[in-house]
Amino acid sequence: MEYILIKTLEAMATFVLAFIVGMTYGGVVRKITGRAHNRLGPPWYQNFIDAFKLLSKTRGIHHGAMHFLGAAFLMVTSVVSLMIIPVLAPGGDAWYNSWFTNMNFNGDLIFLIYIMTFGPLGMAMGAGQTGNPNSSIGVTRGLSQMVGFEIPWVMALVALMITYKTTSVVDFMNIQRETGTWLMFANPFAFIAAVLAMLGMFRYSPFDIVGAPTELASGPVSENGGKFLFTMMSSGSVFTFAKLVLYVDLFMGGANNLVMLVVKTFLLYMIPVLYGIVSPRYRTEQAVRWFWGWPTFIGLLAILYAVIF
Amino acid sequence: MYNDKNSKKIVETIQNWARSHSVWVLAYGTGCGAIEIAPTMTSRYDAERLGFRGAATPRQADVMLITGYLTVKTVKRVVRVYEQMQSPKYVVGFGSCTINGGMYYDSYNTINLLDRYLPVDVYINGCMPRPEAVIAGLAKLQQIIREGKANGAEKYLENLEWYKENQRKIAPNWIAKAPDLNW
Amino acid sequence: MKEIKDKMIAQINAAFPEAVNKAYDGNRLDFTVHKDAIPGFLSHMKDQLGFRHLSHIAYVDWIEENEFELVYLLWSPTDKVKLFVHTRIDRENPVMHNIDMIWRQANTYQREIKEMLGIDFPDMVAPDEFILEDWDDIPPFRRDFDTLEYVNRTFWHRPGREDAQDVRETISKRSGEEIPDFAKKYSR
Repeated sequence: MEYILIKTLEAMATFVLAFIVGMTYGGVVRKITGRAHNRLGPPWYQNFIDAFKLLSKTRGIHHGAMHFLGAAFLMVTSVVSLMIIPVLAPGGDAWYNSWFTNMNFNGDLIFLIYIMTFGPLGMAMGAGQTGNPNSSIGVTRGLSQMVGFEIPWVMALVALMITYKTTSVVDFMNIQRETGTWLMFANPFAFIAAVLAMLGMFRYSPFDIVGAPTELASGPVSENGGKFLFTMMSSGSVFTFAKLVLYVDLFMGGANNLVMLVVKTFLLYMIPVLYGIVSPRYRTEQAVRWFWGWPTFIGLLAILYAVIF
Repeated sequence: MYNDKNSKKIVETIQNWARSHSVWVLAYGTGCGAIEIAPTMTSRYDAERLGFRGAATPRQADVMLITGYLTVKTVKRVVRVYEQMQSPKYVVGFGSCTINGGMYYDSYNTINLLDRYLPVDVYINGCMPRPEAVIAGLAKLQQIIREGKANGAEKYLENLEWYKENQRKIAPNWIAKAPDLNW
Repeated sequence: MKEIKDKMIAQINAAFPEAVNKAYDGNRLDFTVHKDAIPGFLSHMKDQLGFRHLSHIAYVDWIEENEFELVYLLWSPTDKVKLFVHTRIDRENPVMHNIDMIWRQANTYQREIKEMLGIDFPDMVAPDEFILEDWDDIPPFRRDFDTLEYVNRTFWHRPGREDAQDVRETISKRSGEEIPDFAKKYSR
């Protein structure tokens, strides 16, 4: 009983950490975008105010049971992937280190590939229920784009799996600690392919076709206001953090303490953000073609590299 | 304790502070004044530093800017969009056309008084108001939200019959979905 | 240009002896035709004389003469000549021939005319409402439609406009300038 209670508290601590860091990243990104536009930009805590305001809306119209499932699926996806991904490296020496080892069982990479596509599918159901044509178009685009970036992403992961004969993220981190080399140097092609897939995964420009605000009226979320939007916003922040942590775990050797974690994830996060600031928007077929071009080729190289060496 | 009057008041104060610092403006231009929104939002005047942000759909938005004259046809759509928004919601009348009709006061297809059809929280004077005036008006809106006086949504629901009667006067064959306002 | 115009006038007069020509400078041709001759006249212009483009259908309310006037503005891209075709319609019985089988875009103009001036086009296939919705007064572009009276009846005025000054009078008074006679009647 006590064990379960402690585990639950630890899981909640992980969630709170992911929420705070993810929301802060969102605010910082808005600040950085503002500075890149040569304006002041909102304060870094603006996302927290927005979230609290959305939470304190007094009315929230829903469009039936499936509409709730859209937001719920997103939240489930975010939290489950956060629980599966080891937040800190197992060998770390910080006193809070054991808090964040939630459910890192063996074989979690396969499960992650599955669960990370789960949220958009639930979103598709919820968006279909709202009856807004923009939502349907946005969801179609989102799934097409997912088909695009999943291929280099899975190729990169498969290359790692072939090389090290494991699918456990914890094992990957142990291997990196033992050999002393980050996997981004051990198999650079896999890292490049994964980073290129990341551009699509985070949905910044030029791959923001899903929720294009001026074109699609923010796409799948267009019928969601108030508390629905709060759920989606927070789950998006948590999911962003979870994905960043997964990248850090796989390619940058994980992090021994929270400071290193924040530094590494932030640096990684800047790749899609800064690329997005200076990019216009691709159309759906352009995005898919882009992902199935060089990223897939590099992913193929990564697999060849893994097989040959 | 939770339903205590004082704790409710404290929660309300915090909520109003958050509402005043995170105002999402519906990107819906009804008249010529929408041209002033672009410089207000972008790098020259940068309303985002004050917490203003564009929202793409009425479900997500808090404020509707009625930017300029409203034709009879547009009023129907504006009312529909207003009723789609989730309360608390605010309306800012923008330019002299919304105040007294402006230069279109004797036109057969533009309305003169916006506050007969929708509850208006803040009026911004001018034809057109420059971005400074817009920001001043939005700051005024922030102030009255913080004071808890921006209760246009409740006013609309309380006086729904009167508003609907006025709306039906200019659009007789139009069936507005009152009173659950769930479009 | 002069030779082209003369040739065209001769051709039009040969085909339609009753069409009345009015001389203008530049590349402008001007004809007045009876309203029943309009479809044949226009299709002849399009097919035989190269006026392939219909720019606009203008409309005038001659309330003193109890007539409406329609002006079809045609353009010949090959000869760079524009042709104005005038026709008059009785104001009491405003019915006009439909020409949207000659130019597709005429449909839009005719819908506008039907709504704003009340001229009926019996053969035209178009939805009822175009610009005005739920309009139950006389068409608003007729000159006997009193806009201010309609506004007073339909909308409200906010008090405070009563001491508004007339711009033209105020400026002329300030600068000591005479208002010309033709402008006086437009002053408030």
